[in-house]
Amino acid sequence: MENISFRTIVLPLGDRLYRLALRITMNRAEAEDVVQDTLLKVWECRSEWEQIGNLEAFAMTICRNRAIDITKRVGRNAASLDVVDNRRQTTDNGQQSLEAHEQLSLVRRLMDNLPEVQRTIMLLRDVEGRSYQEIAQVLGISEIQVKVYLHRARTKVKNGVKD
Amino acid sequence: MDYKYIEQLLERYWECQTTLEEEAILRTFFRQEDVPASLLPYRQLFIEEDKMANEHLGKDFQDKILRMVDEEEPASSLPEGGPVVCKARRMTVIHRLRPFYRAAGLIAIMLSIGNAAHQSFTDEEDAAKTPQMAETIPFDSLQDISIGQPEEQSAALATQIPDTLDAFTR
Repeated sequence: MENISFRTIVLPLGDRLYRLALRITMNRAEAEDVVQDTLLKVWECRSEWEQIGNLEAFAMTICRNRAIDITKRVGRNAASLDVVDNRRQTTDNGQQSLEAHEQLSLVRRLMDNLPEVQRTIMLLRDVEGRSYQEIAQVLGISEIQVKVYLHRARTKVKNGVKD
Repeated sequence: MDYKYIEQLLERYWECQTTLEEEAILRTFFRQEDVPASLLPYRQLFIEEDKMANEHLGKDFQDKILRMVDEEEPASSLPEGGPVVCKARRMTVIHRLRPFYRAAGLIAIMLSIGNAAHQSFTDEEDAAKTPQMAETIPFDSLQDISIGQPEEQSAALATQIPDTLDAFTR
Protein backbone atom coordinates (compact mmCIF):
# COMPACT_ATOMS: atom_id res chain seq x y z
CA MET A 1 0.00 0.00 0.00
CA GLU A 2 2.77 2.36 1.05
CA ASN A 3 4.84 1.39 -1.95
CA ILE A 4 1.94 2.11 -4.32
CA SER A 5 1.46 5.56 -2.79
CA PHE A 6 5.14 6.27 -3.17
CA ARG A 7 5.03 5.31 -6.82
CA THR A 8 1.84 7.18 -7.62
CA ILE A 9 2.09 10.24 -5.39
CA VAL A 10 5.64 10.88 -4.23
CA LEU A 11 7.76 9.73 -7.15
CA PRO A 12 5.97 11.92 -9.74
CA LEU A 13 7.02 14.95 -7.68
CA GLY A 14 10.60 14.27 -8.76
CA ASP A 15 10.66 16.68 -11.72
CA ARG A 16 9.17 19.54 -9.71
CA LEU A 17 11.62 18.93 -6.90
CA TYR A 18 14.44 18.80 -9.42
CA ARG A 19 13.49 22.19 -10.90
CA LEU A 20 13.35 23.69 -7.44
CA ALA A 21 16.70 22.19 -6.43
CA LEU A 22 18.23 23.28 -9.73
CA ARG A 23 17.13 26.88 -9.19
CA ILE A 24 18.83 26.90 -5.82
CA THR A 25 22.00 24.83 -6.39
CA MET A 26 22.49 25.89 -10.03
CA ASN A 27 24.05 22.50 -10.63
CA ARG A 28 22.34 19.53 -12.23
CA ALA A 29 24.26 16.77 -10.46
CA GLU A 30 23.77 18.41 -7.09
CA ALA A 31 20.11 19.03 -7.82
CA GLU A 32 19.67 15.34 -8.62
CA ASP A 33 21.35 14.39 -5.36
CA VAL A 34 19.05 16.75 -3.50
CA VAL A 35 15.98 15.18 -5.11
CA GLN A 36 17.23 11.69 -4.26
CA ASP A 37 17.81 12.67 -0.63
CA THR A 38 14.41 14.32 -0.50
CA LEU A 39 12.52 11.34 -1.90
CA LEU A 40 14.28 8.93 0.45
CA LYS A 41 13.55 11.24 3.37
CA VAL A 42 9.87 11.31 2.41
CA TRP A 43 9.93 7.51 2.14
CA GLU A 44 11.44 7.23 5.63
CA CYS A 45 8.56 9.33 6.95
CA ARG A 46 5.94 7.06 5.35
CA SER A 47 4.37 6.21 8.70
CA GLU A 48 3.48 9.92 9.07
CA TRP A 49 2.04 10.48 5.59
CA GLU A 50 -1.51 10.47 6.86
CA GLN A 51 -0.73 13.17 9.42
CA ILE A 52 0.99 15.32 6.79
CA GLY A 53 -1.72 17.37 5.13
CA ASN A 54 0.10 18.34 1.93
CA LEU A 55 2.73 15.79 0.97
CA GLU A 56 3.93 17.87 -1.97
CA ALA A 57 4.52 20.94 0.19
CA PHE A 58 6.28 18.71 2.72
CA ALA A 59 8.59 17.31 0.03
CA MET A 60 9.20 20.78 -1.43
CA THR A 61 10.20 22.10 1.99
CA ILE A 62 12.67 19.25 2.52
CA CYS A 63 14.05 19.76 -0.97
CA ARG A 64 14.52 23.49 -0.53
CA ASN A 65 16.25 23.10 2.83
CA ARG A 66 18.58 20.42 1.47
CA ALA A 67 19.42 22.51 -1.57
CA ILE A 68 20.16 25.56 0.59
CA ASP A 69 22.38 23.42 2.87
CA ILE A 70 24.37 22.13 -0.09
CA THR A 71 24.73 25.60 -1.58
CA LYS A 72 25.99 26.96 1.74
CA ARG A 73 28.38 24.04 2.18
CA VAL A 74 29.85 24.43 -1.28
CA GLY A 75 29.86 28.21 -0.93
CA ARG A 76 28.29 28.75 -4.30
CA ASN A 77 26.39 31.89 -5.29
CA ALA A 78 23.93 32.62 -8.04
CA ALA A 79 26.55 33.91 -10.45
CA SER A 80 27.75 30.38 -11.13
CA LEU A 81 24.52 29.66 -12.97
CA ASP A 82 26.26 31.16 -16.01
CA VAL A 83 27.65 27.70 -16.56
CA VAL A 84 24.13 26.41 -17.00
CA ASP A 85 23.32 29.41 -19.20
CA ASN A 86 26.21 28.72 -21.54
CA ARG A 87 25.22 25.08 -21.87
CA ARG A 88 21.66 26.10 -22.58
CA GLN A 89 22.70 28.59 -25.25
CA THR A 90 24.79 26.05 -27.09
CA THR A 91 21.91 23.60 -27.20
CA ASP A 92 19.32 26.10 -28.37
CA ASN A 93 17.88 26.00 -31.85
CA GLY A 94 20.32 27.58 -34.29
CA GLN A 95 17.56 29.56 -35.97
CA GLN A 96 17.16 31.78 -32.97
CA SER A 97 18.74 35.14 -33.51
CA LEU A 98 21.76 36.32 -31.59
CA GLU A 99 19.62 39.12 -30.22
CA ALA A 100 17.18 36.62 -28.78
CA HIS A 101 20.07 34.73 -27.21
CA GLU A 102 21.35 37.88 -25.61
CA GLN A 103 17.89 38.78 -24.38
CA LEU A 104 17.40 35.26 -23.05
CA SER A 105 20.72 35.39 -21.32
CA LEU A 106 19.81 38.75 -19.84
CA VAL A 107 16.51 37.44 -18.50
CA ARG A 108 18.24 34.36 -17.10
CA ARG A 109 20.94 36.45 -15.49
CA LEU A 110 18.34 38.73 -13.97
CA MET A 111 16.38 35.78 -12.59
CA ASP A 112 19.43 33.93 -11.37
CA ASN A 113 20.80 36.96 -9.58
CA LEU A 114 17.68 37.29 -7.48
CA PRO A 115 17.98 36.34 -3.81
CA GLU A 116 17.19 32.67 -3.21
CA VAL A 117 13.80 33.28 -1.63
CA GLN A 118 12.65 35.51 -4.51
CA ARG A 119 14.00 33.04 -7.07
CA THR A 120 12.21 30.16 -5.40
CA ILE A 121 8.93 32.05 -5.15
CA MET A 122 9.11 33.11 -8.79
CA LEU A 123 9.74 29.50 -9.82
CA LEU A 124 6.89 28.12 -7.73
CA ARG A 125 4.44 30.75 -9.00
CA ASP A 126 5.43 31.31 -12.63
CA VAL A 127 6.84 27.91 -13.57
CA GLU A 128 5.01 25.50 -11.30
CA GLY A 129 1.76 27.49 -11.13
CA ARG A 130 1.37 27.19 -7.34
CA SER A 131 -1.05 29.33 -5.38
CA TYR A 132 0.19 31.92 -2.87
CA GLN A 133 -1.11 29.72 -0.08
CA GLU A 134 0.89 26.68 -1.26
CA ILE A 135 4.05 28.77 -1.69
CA ALA A 136 3.59 30.20 1.80
CA GLN A 137 3.27 26.66 3.16
CA VAL A 138 6.47 25.48 1.46
CA LEU A 139 8.50 28.45 2.62
CA GLY A 140 6.90 28.71 6.03
CA ILE A 141 5.99 32.38 5.62
CA SER A 142 2.72 34.30 5.24
CA GLU A 143 0.93 34.83 1.93
CA ILE A 144 1.50 38.59 2.27
CA GLN A 145 5.24 37.99 2.52
CA VAL A 146 5.09 35.75 -0.53
CA LYS A 147 3.44 38.54 -2.51
CA VAL A 148 5.97 41.06 -1.29
CA TYR A 149 8.92 38.89 -2.34
CA LEU A 150 7.31 38.07 -5.67
CA HIS A 151 6.60 41.73 -6.35
CA ARG A 152 10.23 42.58 -5.69
CA ALA A 153 11.41 39.77 -7.96
CA ARG A 154 9.15 40.70 -10.86
CA THR A 155 9.98 44.38 -10.54
CA LYS A 156 13.71 43.63 -10.71
CA VAL A 157 13.28 41.51 -13.83
CA LYS A 158 10.97 44.08 -15.44
CA ASN A 159 13.36 46.96 -14.76
CA GLY A 160 16.32 44.90 -15.91
CA VAL A 161 14.64 43.98 -19.20
CA LYS A 162 13.48 47.57 -19.86
CA ASP A 163 16.94 49.02 -19.23
CA MET B 1 -4.86 44.77 -33.22
CA ASP B 2 -5.71 46.02 -29.73
CA TYR B 3 -3.39 44.73 -27.02
CA LYS B 4 -4.92 46.81 -24.25
CA TYR B 5 -6.23 43.78 -22.42
CA ILE B 6 -2.80 42.15 -22.51
CA GLU B 7 -1.14 45.36 -21.40
CA GLN B 8 -3.56 45.66 -18.50
CA LEU B 9 -2.97 42.05 -17.55
CA LEU B 10 0.78 42.61 -17.73
CA GLU B 11 0.55 45.63 -15.46
CA ARG B 12 -1.43 43.61 -12.95
CA TYR B 13 1.09 40.81 -13.34
CA TRP B 14 3.97 43.06 -12.25
CA GLU B 15 1.89 44.13 -9.27
CA CYS B 16 1.14 40.50 -8.35
CA GLN B 17 -2.60 41.05 -8.74
CA THR B 18 -3.24 38.47 -11.45
CA THR B 19 -4.78 35.08 -10.84
CA LEU B 20 -3.17 31.86 -12.06
CA GLU B 21 -5.66 31.77 -14.95
CA GLU B 22 -4.78 35.31 -16.04
CA GLU B 23 -1.09 34.46 -15.86
CA ALA B 24 -1.79 31.46 -18.08
CA ILE B 25 -3.40 33.82 -20.64
CA LEU B 26 -0.29 35.98 -20.61
CA ARG B 27 1.91 32.93 -21.06
CA THR B 28 -0.14 31.74 -24.02
CA PHE B 29 -0.01 35.20 -25.58
CA PHE B 30 3.77 35.50 -25.29
CA ARG B 31 4.31 32.02 -26.76
CA GLN B 32 3.23 33.29 -30.17
CA GLU B 33 5.80 34.79 -32.51
CA ASP B 34 3.72 37.84 -33.45
CA VAL B 35 4.16 40.07 -30.42
CA PRO B 36 4.09 43.89 -30.68
CA ALA B 37 7.40 45.67 -30.23
CA SER B 38 6.24 47.39 -27.05
CA LEU B 39 5.73 44.00 -25.37
CA LEU B 40 8.65 42.17 -26.98
CA PRO B 41 11.16 42.79 -24.15
CA TYR B 42 8.93 40.84 -21.78
CA ARG B 43 8.43 37.92 -24.12
CA GLN B 44 11.73 36.33 -23.22
CA LEU B 45 10.73 36.16 -19.58
CA PHE B 46 7.77 33.92 -20.36
CA ILE B 47 9.72 31.90 -22.91
CA GLU B 48 12.45 31.33 -20.37
CA GLU B 49 9.93 30.25 -17.74
CA ASP B 50 8.45 27.78 -20.25
CA LYS B 51 11.92 26.33 -20.75
CA MET B 52 12.41 26.00 -17.02
CA ALA B 53 9.18 24.04 -16.85
CA ASN B 54 10.64 21.52 -19.28
CA GLU B 55 13.60 20.64 -17.08
CA HIS B 56 13.34 16.92 -16.23
CA LEU B 57 15.27 14.31 -14.36
CA GLY B 58 17.09 11.56 -16.21
CA LYS B 59 15.13 8.53 -17.39
CA ASP B 60 16.83 6.10 -15.03
CA PHE B 61 16.38 8.28 -11.98
CA GLN B 62 12.98 6.88 -11.02
CA ASP B 63 14.25 3.30 -11.40
CA LYS B 64 17.20 4.10 -9.19
CA ILE B 65 14.96 5.52 -6.47
CA LEU B 66 12.57 2.56 -6.69
CA ARG B 67 15.47 0.14 -6.33
CA MET B 68 16.67 1.98 -3.24
CA VAL B 69 13.18 1.99 -1.77
CA ASP B 70 12.64 -1.70 -2.57
CA GLU B 71 15.88 -2.57 -0.84
CA GLU B 72 14.75 -0.88 2.32
CA GLU B 73 11.23 -2.26 2.30
CA PRO B 74 11.98 -5.83 3.50
CA ALA B 75 13.76 -4.44 6.59
CA SER B 76 10.56 -2.70 7.67
CA SER B 77 8.45 -5.80 7.06
CA LEU B 78 10.57 -8.09 9.21
CA PRO B 79 8.74 -9.75 12.11
CA GLU B 80 9.25 -8.54 15.64
CA GLY B 81 12.15 -10.13 17.48
CA GLY B 82 14.62 -9.92 14.65
CA PRO B 83 15.13 -11.74 11.41
CA VAL B 84 14.23 -15.39 10.99
CA VAL B 85 17.34 -17.53 10.45
CA CYS B 86 16.96 -20.46 8.06
CA LYS B 87 19.72 -23.10 7.94
CA ALA B 88 20.36 -25.03 4.76
CA ARG B 89 20.75 -28.79 5.30
CA ARG B 90 22.31 -31.23 2.86
CA MET B 91 20.00 -34.13 1.94
CA THR B 92 21.81 -37.39 1.08
CA VAL B 93 20.26 -40.42 -0.67
CA ILE B 94 20.03 -42.25 2.67
CA HIS B 95 18.09 -39.33 4.13
CA ARG B 96 15.75 -39.27 1.19
CA LEU B 97 15.02 -43.06 1.37
CA ARG B 98 14.60 -43.12 5.13
CA PRO B 99 10.75 -43.11 5.00
CA PHE B 100 10.82 -46.21 2.78
CA TYR B 101 13.14 -48.01 5.19
CA ARG B 102 10.80 -47.23 8.03
CA ALA B 103 7.74 -48.46 6.11
CA ALA B 104 9.56 -51.67 5.13
CA GLY B 105 10.61 -52.26 8.73
CA LEU B 106 7.07 -51.75 9.98
CA ILE B 107 5.70 -54.22 7.41
CA ALA B 108 8.35 -56.78 8.39
CA ILE B 109 7.39 -56.48 12.07
CA MET B 110 3.70 -56.89 11.29
CA LEU B 111 4.36 -59.94 9.13
CA SER B 112 6.53 -61.50 11.86
CA ILE B 113 3.81 -60.99 14.46
CA GLY B 114 1.17 -62.42 12.13
CA ASN B 115 3.34 -65.39 11.32
CA ALA B 116 4.06 -66.06 14.95
CA ALA B 117 0.36 -65.88 15.83
CA HIS B 118 -0.54 -68.24 13.00
CA GLN B 119 2.21 -70.65 14.05
CA SER B 120 1.05 -70.78 17.66
CA PHE B 121 -2.57 -71.36 16.57
CA THR B 122 -1.66 -74.30 14.33
CA ASP B 123 0.58 -75.78 17.06
CA GLU B 124 -2.38 -75.74 19.48
CA GLU B 125 -4.54 -77.72 17.04
CA ASP B 126 -1.80 -80.31 16.42
CA ALA B 127 -1.09 -80.75 20.13
CA ALA B 128 -4.50 -82.29 20.66
CA LYS B 129 -3.47 -85.20 18.43
CA THR B 130 -0.43 -86.20 20.47
CA PRO B 131 -0.63 -88.81 23.32
CA GLN B 132 0.51 -86.32 25.92
CA MET B 133 -2.25 -83.95 24.98
CA ALA B 134 -4.77 -86.71 24.81
CA GLU B 135 -3.87 -87.77 28.36
CA THR B 136 -4.74 -84.40 29.64
CA ILE B 137 -8.21 -84.39 28.13
CA PRO B 138 -10.62 -84.37 31.11
CA PHE B 139 -12.83 -87.29 31.50
CA ASP B 140 -15.92 -85.09 31.81
CA SER B 141 -15.40 -83.73 28.37
CA LEU B 142 -15.32 -87.20 26.98
CA GLN B 143 -18.55 -87.87 28.75
CA ASP B 144 -20.04 -84.85 27.04
CA ILE B 145 -19.29 -86.46 23.71
CA SER B 146 -21.50 -89.31 24.62
CA ILE B 147 -24.50 -87.11 25.18
CA GLY B 148 -27.17 -87.96 22.74
CA GLN B 149 -26.08 -91.67 22.58
CA PRO B 150 -28.42 -94.40 23.92
CA GLU B 151 -27.93 -94.98 27.65
CA GLU B 152 -26.63 -98.53 27.24
CA GLN B 153 -24.07 -97.45 24.67
CA SER B 154 -23.06 -94.52 26.82
CA ALA B 155 -22.57 -96.70 29.88
CA ALA B 156 -20.54 -99.20 27.89
CA LEU B 157 -18.47 -96.45 26.36
CA ALA B 158 -17.87 -94.96 29.77
CA THR B 159 -16.53 -98.25 31.11
CA GLN B 160 -14.33 -98.78 28.01
CA ILE B 161 -12.65 -95.41 28.01
CA PRO B 162 -10.48 -95.77 31.11
CA ASP B 163 -9.30 -99.16 29.84
CA THR B 164 -8.53 -97.73 26.46
CA LEU B 165 -6.62 -94.85 28.00
CA ASP B 166 -4.60 -97.20 30.21
CA ALA B 167 -3.73 -99.32 27.23
CA PHE B 168 -2.85 -96.29 25.20
CA THR B 169 -0.56 -94.82 27.79
CA ARG B 170 1.20 -98.16 28.38
